[in-house]
Amino acid sequence: MIWNRREIFAACVAAAAARRATAADDTVTIPGKRPMILHNDRPEDLETPLRYFDSWITPMDAFFVRQHLPRPAAIDAAAYRLTVNGMVSKTLELTLSDLQKLPQHTIPATLECTGNGRGFYSPKVPGIQWGRGAIGNAEWSGPRIADILKLAGASSSASFLDTDGADTGVAKTPDFVRSLPLKKALDPATLLALKMNGQPIPDIHGFPARLIVPGWDGTSSVKWVVRLTVAAEANKGFFMNPGYRYPKYSLPPGTPARPAELEVIEGMPVKSSIVAPEDQSRLTVGSIAIRGFAWAGEEAIERVEVSTDGGSRWHDAELSSPKLPFAWRLFHLDWKPTEPGYYTIMSRATDSARRVQPIVAAWNPSGYLWNAIDHVGVTVEKAG
Amino acid sequence: MTPKLWLVTLILAAAALAADQAAVERGQKEEARTCIPCHSLRLIHSQRLSKAAWGKELDKMSGWGTTITDREALLEYLIANYGDDKPAPAPAMSGNGAK
Repeated sequence: MIWNRREIFAACVAAAAARRATAADDTVTIPGKRPMILHNDRPEDLETPLRYFDSWITPMDAFFVRQHLPRPAAIDAAAYRLTVNGMVSKTLELTLSDLQKLPQHTIPATLECTGNGRGFYSPKVPGIQWGRGAIGNAEWSGPRIADILKLAGASSSASFLDTDGADTGVAKTPDFVRSLPLKKALDPATLLALKMNGQPIPDIHGFPARLIVPGWDGTSSVKWVVRLTVAAEANKGFFMNPGYRYPKYSLPPGTPARPAELEVIEGMPVKSSIVAPEDQSRLTVGSIAIRGFAWAGEEAIERVEVSTDGGSRWHDAELSSPKLPFAWRLFHLDWKPTEPGYYTIMSRATDSARRVQPIVAAWNPSGYLWNAIDHVGVTVEKAG
Repeated sequence: MTPKLWLVTLILAAAALAADQAAVERGQKEEARTCIPCHSLRLIHSQRLSKAAWGKELDKMSGWGTTITDREALLEYLIANYGDDKPAPAPAMSGNGAK
């Protein structure tokens, strides 16, 4: 009896404290962004609400944001310099104008936070509790990393490219530096993007230049890039190890990572998400559009199937064009339920490498790469 | 239960409540002092973690330069509010900052 009352009292005190703490920063508006799901406002971690996902290209004002460190002070385009160094024949200090003079390429690519869907894992793991919306699809334009490294004369015996952004950590928080195997860095699709959806990249997304590593986790696509270093070995900083690593061998849910058996995450898995109807919505008998998106990292989406009876029967959904690696495809199925009731709608994607979404996503200690067959529950009521 | 035993029970309960309340309040102050300099509290308040997982987070943040002086109170506060037995919070939304 004592302990129950104690717990209740403590919970009441704590709830009151939580209300005070939340009230202090309740009205946060992020310039340039529509209302977003606010996981963190300092620095900004913003999730796209599902209702904004109604086009192949995600508008900039709806695109998710993941910051590891506080945003750097706004970068002056005229003062900007990109250092290219390390195992190169010539260290470069490139201006924005130098980068704009290189051949420009445009790649449509989906960016997804490595931890998108973390909130669905059980048991819970630390980190931003993303739902479905830490993902977006944009057209990225800029010079190829391969062309920049050619200018610098990158050594053929190098194996990695380190990328550092202008952001720096508070106190002893490690700097955000990522290493990319040179093979991927030299891929013709890997860009130093200067534009997003045809416009200069907004500050919040990495102005004036960000890496775009199509098909890989969003973490690879470093923002505010100020240094590219050609190296023999991968960077050993926190954000390469143990950060953004995944167990080589699956672990029982809830068990700690085995550091020696963690591997760097590279290409993303096959995945689909239902954006309409929304989970637990109430609908009326008639015509209901089931919509969503599917992507598969470096592969292309081949097929999306939808079930409206909890996975007993599956129907092929219509897929948007084009069919490309790196970029998502939208899917759509017109559903005409004739009976009222509660329905479980599911989506299952298959990619060009014949990978199929699993029924159960593999739990992992950092909650990465959620890609289970998606499902939402809806109540269909009689008309009138 | 005799009246005397009731009284002892009540005194013990009051002491326990006072101790917990004090720890939770100290924990909240510790949160404001140690966590706010680097990130907003939303990042914390959206989590639902076990005591062991919160402990690991505090270790990580200590390693990243924050000085936690009242670790036990901070843990007590985090478990009381954001333990893995608590329901997930409703998502918060930002205001409209689009043009």
